[in-house]
Amino acid sequence: MVKLVLQRSPEALRRHKARGADSALILPMVEGKAPDDAALAAAAKAARFTGKAGEVLPVPGAHGFTILAGIGAGETVSDWEVGGGAGMAEAAGRAQAILLADNATPEQAAGFATGALLNAWRFNVLRDASKDKDAPPARVTLAVASPAKVEPAWKRAEAVLRGVFFARILVAEPGNRLNPASFAERLRALKEYGLKVEVLEGKRLATLGMGALCAVGGGAVHGPRLVVLRWPGRVKAAPVAFVGKGVCFDTGGISIKPAAGMEEMRGDMAGAAAAAGAMLALALRRSPAPAVAVLALAENAIGAASYRPGDILRTHSGKTIEVLDTDAEGRLILADALSYTAARFKPRAMIDLATLTGSIITALGHHRAGVFGNDEALSAALMAAGEAVAEPLWPMPIDDEHREVLKSDIADLRQCAPAGSGAWGGRFLSDACHAAAFLREFAGGTTWAHLDIAGVEAREEAAALGPKGPSGFGVRLLDHLVAMRFERDA
Amino acid sequence: MPDITFVKPALPRSGALVLLLAEGAALAGLAKTAEEATGGAVARGLEAAKFKGAKGQSCTLWAPGAGLSKIVAIGLGKADALDAQGAENAGGAALVAVQQERDAVIAADGLTPALAASVAMGARLRSYRFDRYRTTEKEEDKPKLERVALASAEATKAKAAFAPMQAIADGVFLTRDLVSEPPNVLTPAEMAERCKALEKLGVEVEIMGPREMKRLGFGALLGVAQGSAQEPRMVTMKWMGAPKGKKQKPLAFIGKGVTFDTGGISIKPAGGMEDMKWDMAGAGTVIGLMAALAGRKAKADVIGMVGLVENMPSATAQRPGDVVKSYSGQTVEVINTDAEGRLVLADVMWYCQEKYDPRFMVDLATLTGAIIIALGHERAGLFSNDDTLATHVKEAGSAVGEEAWRMPLGDAYDKQIKSDIADMKNVGGRPGGSITAAQFIQRFVNGKPWAHLDIAGTAWSSKDAPTVPKGATAYGVRMLDRMVADHYEG
Repeated sequence: MVKLVLQRSPEALRRHKARGADSALILPMVEGKAPDDAALAAAAKAARFTGKAGEVLPVPGAHGFTILAGIGAGETVSDWEVGGGAGMAEAAGRAQAILLADNATPEQAAGFATGALLNAWRFNVLRDASKDKDAPPARVTLAVASPAKVEPAWKRAEAVLRGVFFARILVAEPGNRLNPASFAERLRALKEYGLKVEVLEGKRLATLGMGALCAVGGGAVHGPRLVVLRWPGRVKAAPVAFVGKGVCFDTGGISIKPAAGMEEMRGDMAGAAAAAGAMLALALRRSPAPAVAVLALAENAIGAASYRPGDILRTHSGKTIEVLDTDAEGRLILADALSYTAARFKPRAMIDLATLTGSIITALGHHRAGVFGNDEALSAALMAAGEAVAEPLWPMPIDDEHREVLKSDIADLRQCAPAGSGAWGGRFLSDACHAAAFLREFAGGTTWAHLDIAGVEAREEAAALGPKGPSGFGVRLLDHLVAMRFERDA
Repeated sequence: MPDITFVKPALPRSGALVLLLAEGAALAGLAKTAEEATGGAVARGLEAAKFKGAKGQSCTLWAPGAGLSKIVAIGLGKADALDAQGAENAGGAALVAVQQERDAVIAADGLTPALAASVAMGARLRSYRFDRYRTTEKEEDKPKLERVALASAEATKAKAAFAPMQAIADGVFLTRDLVSEPPNVLTPAEMAERCKALEKLGVEVEIMGPREMKRLGFGALLGVAQGSAQEPRMVTMKWMGAPKGKKQKPLAFIGKGVTFDTGGISIKPAGGMEDMKWDMAGAGTVIGLMAALAGRKAKADVIGMVGLVENMPSATAQRPGDVVKSYSGQTVEVINTDAEGRLVLADVMWYCQEKYDPRFMVDLATLTGAIIIALGHERAGLFSNDDTLATHVKEAGSAVGEEAWRMPLGDAYDKQIKSDIADMKNVGGRPGGSITAAQFIQRFVNGKPWAHLDIAGTAWSSKDAPTVPKGATAYGVRMLDRMVADHYEG
């Protein structure tokens, strides 16, 4: 994570001057308002810069290298985030960036910095980035009127950012480095921040009756794990629970995927990564809300011990599942994780996150994740949280027809509609809804929502709030949800 | 299809008698009369069949005595929970149960006149059959039912309540006929001719051919049509039912009418292509809707417009890569000739706004496979730029069992249809496929409130529903009729 320091603006501006062209000064600009400085005002006018949120104008020469960053009306934190992010993108290749936010509230200033740092994150663990000409500034200063006043808001924002980056790194890590065993080890390290970590594996999973998780992960060299992260909080209430799909690599198994694009399946654990990142954020900012994350980790590999289409699995809930497609494995491991979470923790609310279906991408594209559930209030709260942190959701239905297709001839239910079934040779199956109907069976009576984040776990192209690649989608959303809804007594 | 009449409650001397029984209710009225006339056969039979009156339950008592061929009991569920839809469903079930009788009496004497009318509506809707191309069907396979009498203590009131419903059912049947017709019969010209049948209901019908379209500059619609030997048509249907002194801007309903969609040069796979005869269901629905509104003399001014074309691959067909100029002046790069419906709608919608300045526009189209992948077959996708209009559409649909689900729009999706050389391209890729289609259509909305129903998943059904036999559903006719009735009349 890029280091950010808080500084009083006069000192920060002196530092900017001292570094010449190596420093970028990023100025937040309210839409329709000209900069005070005459040279900047002239530049803005000439370039028809309006100050829309996310609009940027680099102005070389006026006070070194200045970047005008539009923040729209400049009221919401998300406008400041977008402005900070877009401004930071223009600062690429400079050694330092000064974010000037001396006229902002502490939350707005923290938002400006949050956007900038979300933008500047890179995954450079596995490559030499030292000659990268477009590297983001390594040193970032948030220049404010009173660092002491901004400090608490920034600390809180920083905690969430660390959660986001933890998740992004996990998603970026390739399958040969991040397997269920090493993923579990990285999660164990979260003990340091006050999270209680349990790793269940091997016989223990079988003893618990997790037939689905054992089957999906059984074909891999590194067997499946169920990792439980707990944050005690202070509020006297049942915890809010996050359940994450953590398929470290998804070949599809015996129902193997086509080769093209299969490398992206290293990110098929983004749900678990987001849940873990959210837990880290809550711990770092000492959230009063008790929370638990249950992460089902498995590699869906092809091997002599792989599970097969036609297999029937007995799940933790006791229900049996007929497997039709070994590439619909996420819902299987979530089935065990959901019923285990509901039974053990009796959570106030249970939210699962999973890169679950291609169907949700056809439905909603890359701009929104789908939210399904059995509780309208929870879904609405998730929607609102998503809008607030630019991780937007859209509600999706679970209808009778979606449950209907899961009827099995020989098990309690089957995992998906048969390939080729339905109209036009099965080209148009609403699999995201089917999957949600399936998961609902394992949520039981628990207040539950399911986020199908396939399509948003990684960015197709760079945006204000992040580079191309892992987005960490879900971390900020869950953190915001907890802050809005679960930090008071039940 | 049987005649439906309303009579005072009296036990018929022959034929079938249908009893509508609420859960746990004692036999009363006509049911009690039947019980007495059959020497207790009704109660004995129901008990032996474990009939309790649960919603959807039914039971047939053969030759119960009193000259009747059978008595059919149909469960209504809890009496106080019975609504219009429940009554319709019971009517549909009743119809199916007596189809092989010549005469049937449905005992609706325990119901309010309004609910008795709904029972009749359900029976009417379910009695639909498209058999004009069957020439060798055996007598015993044909339904025999000639007369259905609804027995109601307030027969006159029930009959009066049924009169507008009958008009709506006629509209539904017209739509089902059009959608069921094979594509060699129902060409654009033929479909336009059939619109003229609405004239006797007082609808003004105008038909426009290719010469006039060319003169006006309908480049988008004509591009789709140019590969076919069948000439395109645009039909405008006007129902001016608003009382004098209460005139407002007209309501506009617009339908996609691709009488057969091969996909054009971007040809579809062979499997299931025959279904593309119903790619005119949006237009078929608008025509049926206009018939329903005129038939019941709706007090509103309504414009129905349909764009009718056939999409064929041929020497003259448009190619992927072609750029066409729409009537709005905007240019479109045609990337995929199988995304033709939106091109047709583009010109018709713009023309509608220019010529009629409507209060709002609702378009219906079997537009995308993506909407089926998103939602399945129980709900249509609803897109709108106006929350009030969207709510009106959705609630009216729920009231008549035609459900819609709101889907998102937004700039991020709109970017997917940017073209390198034209104002837009006609497809935006797989992600969010139904959303980008809606974004395309929205570019031809000129500041009007607008809603778009993607009915690709709901226009045709592969299985029977209580009031909708499998095949053409006429989804949308009742919904939009209801919306007009609830919000835009008087």
